[in-house]
Amino acid sequence: MTQNAEHVLDHLELFKGQEYQQMLANKRALFECPHDPAEVERIREWSKTPEYREKNFAREALTVNPAKACQPLGAVFVSAGFEGTLPFVHGSQGCVAYYRSHLSRHFKEPSSCVSSSMTEDAAVFGGLNNMIDGLANSYNMYKPKMIAVSTTCMAEVIGDDLNAFIKTAKEKGSVPAEFDVPFAHTPAFVGSHVNGYDHALKGILEHFWDGKAGSAPKLERKQNGKINVIGGFDGYTVGNLREIKRILELMEIEYTILGDNSDVFDTPTDGEFRMYGGGTSLHDAANAVHAKATISMQQYCTEKTLPFVEDHGHKILAFNYPLGVGATDDFLMALSRITGKPIPKALEQERGRLVDAIADSSSHIHGKKFAIYGDPDLCYGLAAFLLELGAEPTHVLSTNGGKAWEEKMRTLFASSPFGQNCHVYPGKDLWHMRSLLFTEPVDFLIGNTYGKYLERDTGTPLIRIGFPIFDRHHHHRYPVWGYQGGINVLVKILDKIFDEIDKHTNIAGKTDYSFDIVR
Amino acid sequence: MRPRILALSPVVAASGAGADYRLRLDREAIGPCKGTLMSSLSTKIQDALSEPGCARNVNKSEAERRKGCTKQLQPGGAAGGCAFDGAKIALQPVTDVAHLVHGPIACEGNSWDNRSSVSSGPDLWRRSFTTDMDEMNIVFGGEKRLYKAIREVVEKYDPPAIFVYQTCVPAMIGDDINAVCKAAARRFGKPVIPVNSPGFVGSKNLGSKLAGEALFEHVIGTQEPDITTPYDINLVGEFNLSGELWQVKPLLDQLGIRILSCISGDARYRDIACSHRAKAAMVVCSKALINVARKMKERYGIPFFEGSFYGIQDSSDSLRNIARMLIARGAPTELMTRTEAVISREEAKAWAAIDGFKPRFAGKKALLVTGGVKSWSVVAALQEAGLEIVGTSVKKSTREDKERIKELMGQDAHMIEEMSARQMYEMLKDAKADIMLSGGKSQFVALKAAMPWLDINQERSYAYLGYAGMVKLMEEIDKALYNPIWDQLRRPAPWESVSHSACEGRMRDRPAVHAAPRLQAAE
Repeated sequence: MTQNAEHVLDHLELFKGQEYQQMLANKRALFECPHDPAEVERIREWSKTPEYREKNFAREALTVNPAKACQPLGAVFVSAGFEGTLPFVHGSQGCVAYYRSHLSRHFKEPSSCVSSSMTEDAAVFGGLNNMIDGLANSYNMYKPKMIAVSTTCMAEVIGDDLNAFIKTAKEKGSVPAEFDVPFAHTPAFVGSHVNGYDHALKGILEHFWDGKAGSAPKLERKQNGKINVIGGFDGYTVGNLREIKRILELMEIEYTILGDNSDVFDTPTDGEFRMYGGGTSLHDAANAVHAKATISMQQYCTEKTLPFVEDHGHKILAFNYPLGVGATDDFLMALSRITGKPIPKALEQERGRLVDAIADSSSHIHGKKFAIYGDPDLCYGLAAFLLELGAEPTHVLSTNGGKAWEEKMRTLFASSPFGQNCHVYPGKDLWHMRSLLFTEPVDFLIGNTYGKYLERDTGTPLIRIGFPIFDRHHHHRYPVWGYQGGINVLVKILDKIFDEIDKHTNIAGKTDYSFDIVR
Repeated sequence: MRPRILALSPVVAASGAGADYRLRLDREAIGPCKGTLMSSLSTKIQDALSEPGCARNVNKSEAERRKGCTKQLQPGGAAGGCAFDGAKIALQPVTDVAHLVHGPIACEGNSWDNRSSVSSGPDLWRRSFTTDMDEMNIVFGGEKRLYKAIREVVEKYDPPAIFVYQTCVPAMIGDDINAVCKAAARRFGKPVIPVNSPGFVGSKNLGSKLAGEALFEHVIGTQEPDITTPYDINLVGEFNLSGELWQVKPLLDQLGIRILSCISGDARYRDIACSHRAKAAMVVCSKALINVARKMKERYGIPFFEGSFYGIQDSSDSLRNIARMLIARGAPTELMTRTEAVISREEAKAWAAIDGFKPRFAGKKALLVTGGVKSWSVVAALQEAGLEIVGTSVKKSTREDKERIKELMGQDAHMIEEMSARQMYEMLKDAKADIMLSGGKSQFVALKAAMPWLDINQERSYAYLGYAGMVKLMEEIDKALYNPIWDQLRRPAPWESVSHSACEGRMRDRPAVHAAPRLQAAE
């Protein structure tokens, strides 16, 4: 036996054992009707050619390796950012299990979220009963302060009316009449998780500001000096929102973070389980209506929310995942302009440190080519930062990026001499990216965990920035926004560059003439 | 030997100043202990300091020369490396020997693999060997420990030779590494070379010279090459940093010129041991090992010239000089024809490549802060590429170097003598330059003064030697000039410019703010 009880091997080693190798080889030979290996190799090589790329880009119906998730994921993400809030997804429970595992695997935290567990009969007769029972059970079992409802496709296809359902449920006594149950329709067959974030956030604000679905008077806005900040769907929410709060506090600006899940996805281990750790208080969420302005850190995560906020008299401002010197400058100056508060010396020094760090290492990044994929705002922010570093974001691909984003990316490329040979690919998937990497190779790839297949296939080293990151731990704790965040991203990129240099010079006695201690 | 510890300790305790050790040791050297290691060392030091092969030295008055070519270090002032460091730098590139540092951990701990010289084969030179002396060794002496360490190196690695480096502490307590090396060499039947250059005897440059002495005394001429040819040369003072030597070697290969020995870049022990059979030698871009070249000329009749592969004209001149010297010593005269052919081919290629940078360099100003030959040897290429050189440092340059600079840059050439970091900062702030080319030491000062910067000294990652190297240098300058971060570096935070007039008082001490209007003026 390869495996034995005295010394148990895990799968990394076990299956390399001769018995298993033999078994796998036999299985392949005897049962799998294998193709001629030469033929397999020929096709593999063919799939790297421009000819294949053309066919690949002509795909109309099939999506291969999409770099996006569905609306309810975003809805669950933002809902969790409110005090004591239980995200409740009306629809089938399997979907919800996915969101929970997705968030848990990325943040290494429990993710509290329930579904109305619709089954076949609910699909036929409508999900009202599931809503009634579901709200009652959730309320009683998990004692939330608010239940934020969103939907899966199943409920959307049969057209369940959340407003009416929730009202009925309340009438039936599932939850008290005054209990907060905001809602948003979030079908997966429209848009992506960034839209789900948008819809759910808008649903929550609408609920508090516009009379709680007709059950209370609308709030009357009395403008104060505060500002609201919306983070958007962000794998770095823990580090980023804390960094934003630190900056706002340094500037002595009064603020409300809408959907503050920085503590929710980073609860301490101290013997207590926090089902609802942190989050924007419901009181603050309601009073956010009085703020002077609302700033979105991610334009494409708030396309519906911002106009809604503007209609309530706020100044609105949207950024595209501000990353690096210039973008952070713009962000801080906007804060300063809106609030009249000066940018403190401390931040100016942080700025100088980031500039200093970039200058110290500039020659290593200068002229390097990158491929980036991810959510539209993240792609924009990263591309802008790379241009600032003198690198070329040669391929920028976003499965959930649309026409407007495409235009915006083009404008960005046009603004820099380093953007001249860069291209944007909206609505494309990672199989398209594979062709791009083979036919127009770049030095590095930036993307989420799924990029590791591309890294393996194409040999393009992957820098993990995005969501989800399943196979590396804890990076979400470090900000990528602000000047400090800029340094973090710079270091991530540099680490990979130096790792690659080492990797290519580390054969003892052969290439180690350049295996240097000082880089 | 041992009582000397007692004699020395109170001095150390009382003064704590490096200069006192030296006085004390010098006194001892001429005192009753004559014939010990210190006396032979101080003779060697005198010898090295009055190097007749050194152009700079020859130009000095008798009195100046007696003071030696190393400036007395100023206690309390920032200073460069020590004599140990100089010796280690000079010999470390010998790839197949074990470099064993006798001393407490600091000396080897800090110098381990700290220069990017490159080996085409053995990697033993990169292994860090030290006796890592502790308190007990210092009380009872470290000689036995050193001997054992040598034995262990022999047993475990069996290198063709072991270089043993003396450092301050064992030198002070009187460990006689010459004697230990001699005993070990006899016992183990292989060369064990004492490199007697403890840090306190002086500067890095002196240390390099002492290392050269060690080679001359113990290594050179101890073995015979299998064959010799009329085309055998030595390169002295070339360390193959970032593989620079290999940018030139293919040209020599094409000409059929054999580098019998390179001292000490990518060297093997045997090459150096056989180097006395070369027909000619080139001292490359370095004053450090000129004593080796001079002594080889005296003892073995190998003529040498000082040359450089830094810059296009220099590369060509050096190739011609090599050919000329080999012909003078019996190589066929057609070598020169072939050399000229290679030169014109390589020059044409390089100039064509450099020509491409002209539009991008037009109107750009560069400041060179480096030393010695480099102060002028790259100037021509930079000028050809269209850069204006607004200043060059002459810290380590000779009178000839300075003449060359004037020739190239005109009588008004801005020559910068040695300066402190603060002075450099002041100068950079006011310099109307777009880029500074310098060694790593100035990097961080340059950046703080918002000056784009490119490393052209040893710790860089790119090789700039020879024709190809010059083109590479242009590429790197181009990258540095056009890196977008410099704009950020020279601009104040954008919110500053908005409130420019409001806070002028505060801005007076902000260099970045000064930089912005100056640049506009320059344009």
